[in-house]
Amino acid sequence: MKVRMVGCSHHNASLELRERLAFNPLQTKAALQRFRLTFPQTEAVLLSTCNRVEVYTAVDAPDEGPSHEQVAEFLAGFHGVSLYEVFDDLFERTGDDAVRHLFSVAASLDSMVLGEPHILAQVKQAYQLAMQENSTGPLTHAIFQAAVKVARRVTNETSLHQKRVSIPSVAVAEFAAQVFEQFDDKRVLVIGAGEMADETLRYLREAGARQVTIVNRSYERARELAQQWEGRVAPWDDLLSELVRADLVVSTTGAAQPVVTLANYQQIEAQRFQRPLFVLDLAIPRDFEPAIGQCLQVYLYSLDDLKAACDRNRRERDAEMPRALAIIEDETARFMADLHHRSTGPIIQQLKRGWQTPKEEELRRLFNKLPQLDERGRAEVEQAFDRLLNKLLHPPLETLRDESRHGIPHALLDAFKRLFQLMD
Amino acid sequence: MIERIQILCFAASYGVALALEISRLGFRSAVRGVLLWGFSVAGFLAQTLYLWHRTRLADGPLSSPFDWYLLAAWLLVLAYLVLAYWRPASAIGLFLLPLVLGLIVVAALLADRTPLAVNRATRAWGALHGGFLLFGTVAVFIGFATGVMYLVHAYRLKHKLPQRRGLQLPSLEWLERVNSRAISLAIVMLLLGVISGAVLNTVRPELPWSDPIVVSSLVTVAWLVIVTLFVVVYRPARQGRKVAYLTVASFLFLVFSLGAALVLNTKHAGLPEQPTDPARAARSAPLEFERRGAA
Repeated sequence: MKVRMVGCSHHNASLELRERLAFNPLQTKAALQRFRLTFPQTEAVLLSTCNRVEVYTAVDAPDEGPSHEQVAEFLAGFHGVSLYEVFDDLFERTGDDAVRHLFSVAASLDSMVLGEPHILAQVKQAYQLAMQENSTGPLTHAIFQAAVKVARRVTNETSLHQKRVSIPSVAVAEFAAQVFEQFDDKRVLVIGAGEMADETLRYLREAGARQVTIVNRSYERARELAQQWEGRVAPWDDLLSELVRADLVVSTTGAAQPVVTLANYQQIEAQRFQRPLFVLDLAIPRDFEPAIGQCLQVYLYSLDDLKAACDRNRRERDAEMPRALAIIEDETARFMADLHHRSTGPIIQQLKRGWQTPKEEELRRLFNKLPQLDERGRAEVEQAFDRLLNKLLHPPLETLRDESRHGIPHALLDAFKRLFQLMD
Repeated sequence: MIERIQILCFAASYGVALALEISRLGFRSAVRGVLLWGFSVAGFLAQTLYLWHRTRLADGPLSSPFDWYLLAAWLLVLAYLVLAYWRPASAIGLFLLPLVLGLIVVAALLADRTPLAVNRATRAWGALHGGFLLFGTVAVFIGFATGVMYLVHAYRLKHKLPQRRGLQLPSLEWLERVNSRAISLAIVMLLLGVISGAVLNTVRPELPWSDPIVVSSLVTVAWLVIVTLFVVVYRPARQGRKVAYLTVASFLFLVFSLGAALVLNTKHAGLPEQPTDPARAARSAPLEFERRGAA
């Protein structure tokens, strides 16, 4: 049995290279079909996300299946890229290293943002796609199903996934969610239309926000962002009136002076009737004058406040890493032992079958000599023979299981074959 | 077996549950959740059996101040279990369980008071009066707990303090919603309670209208009516910290009203007497009954 992973990730390959080797779902299907034609005996799953492109292969016979070079050539060839351009950036993991790697990936320990929740869904999606294309088999089924279980175990037994570290995700999940129970009925006002606004809107959208208004000095850019997030655009001059209606504000302009001063806010404060206002001021320098944070029912958070929370989360998450890694190690060892033990299956079956025939012959002979035995007596004798057989087979099978923990016990299997005259 | 259940059984269970809630602030534990549920549910079941057994001995669950307070505590525990089920990560018990224990302590202090007079003509009005006041009181207690939670949470968010381990609270919006609903329910229930009490006293005049309990209840209801008018007229009072402050103040008024039964000379819940009838003795002195049951 051989498990192998060949690919690249954000650890060793540039974004440009990852983009060149990336697969969209249609390309993944085509690639898996082509892979199956090229290597018919090999099971394969292709995982392609913005941070990694990885091909997992598994084959029953250790000397069969594609090599590192062949998989690399396949990846490069599919995208029409020269192998020499990408080969150095592709890394390989085999055996338990490949299994450990997949477990770490699924549990989001290998992600760019540690503990981010999307990768598990992406791993599941890759596995499902491979199943649809019939490129999976017993080995990849076992590995990917185990990976999903391991990821869940890491999520349940550590707080790694509860600690977010990107500023927009912390702003939404840890601060806005403490003020608002739901976002679908909240009016979100976005001031500015930069990258940070875009990313924060992604998290707000995931949290359920539907009513988004964008105010930007450049009306065109605001309209683009509004189209992307199904929001509406308001003219810059309406900023204060939009502030009256808003429940949540994300401000990300590049203005050198505050966009909303205390005097501005005081103009509209009475019109809000002390409705809570949550302001995420993600601009440098700040868009909201800090004194606004002292006003009633205003919760004003600047980039520094959020950074402090991110750093705190990062520290807490780092402290959780040893526990998560211990789970990965534990599960990898267990999985590999099971996998190795599985390879001894045919020998065990043969051994059991080999003893079954003499047992049945002896029983037949015995029952012929003891015709007075009734049905109950016969059943008792049969059970006694079965018990004896199980007791005789138990020590060698246990030894086989123990030895499987350290790899496929080739020498022991060989000895079994010779001792019990088992055939391949 | 039921006879052997004592107040101490469920009070101790709630006490352990509260200690477990407090321990959230100090350290993490994988088994705490199970223990917390175990002790809370065990206490709740013991209290349920205890109250059920009392209804077989006494004239009804609301027939004495002792039963009334225990029933209020029981409802509050029920609310705690429901809220804890929906929000297991929130430290709701930290705010509700002390109130439960407080009600049980007050019940124990009032254990020697005589049962309320029972008469066929007044039984229905008495049950209505007791029931409305019971639900109103529980609503005020829940409003108080969520109001305090709101103020703590709002303070933390306003001052950008990190969320302390074990002191996770529901969102401000949720707290405000529960808070304002609890106070609305309390106003209706307490108002109906006072009206049914007035009818009761008119049908069978037993209490002078100047009785301290009557006066303090009227003051509480008057306060709640003022709160309602304030909320209707002044729009900012419908949300945020103002609702929380109003519920905390309403709780203080209610405590003042309930405290009157403990310290003032009132005929609403009779002062200790020496009953001769054994069944009446059981109703009027439940702790004595428990001691004998346990023996």
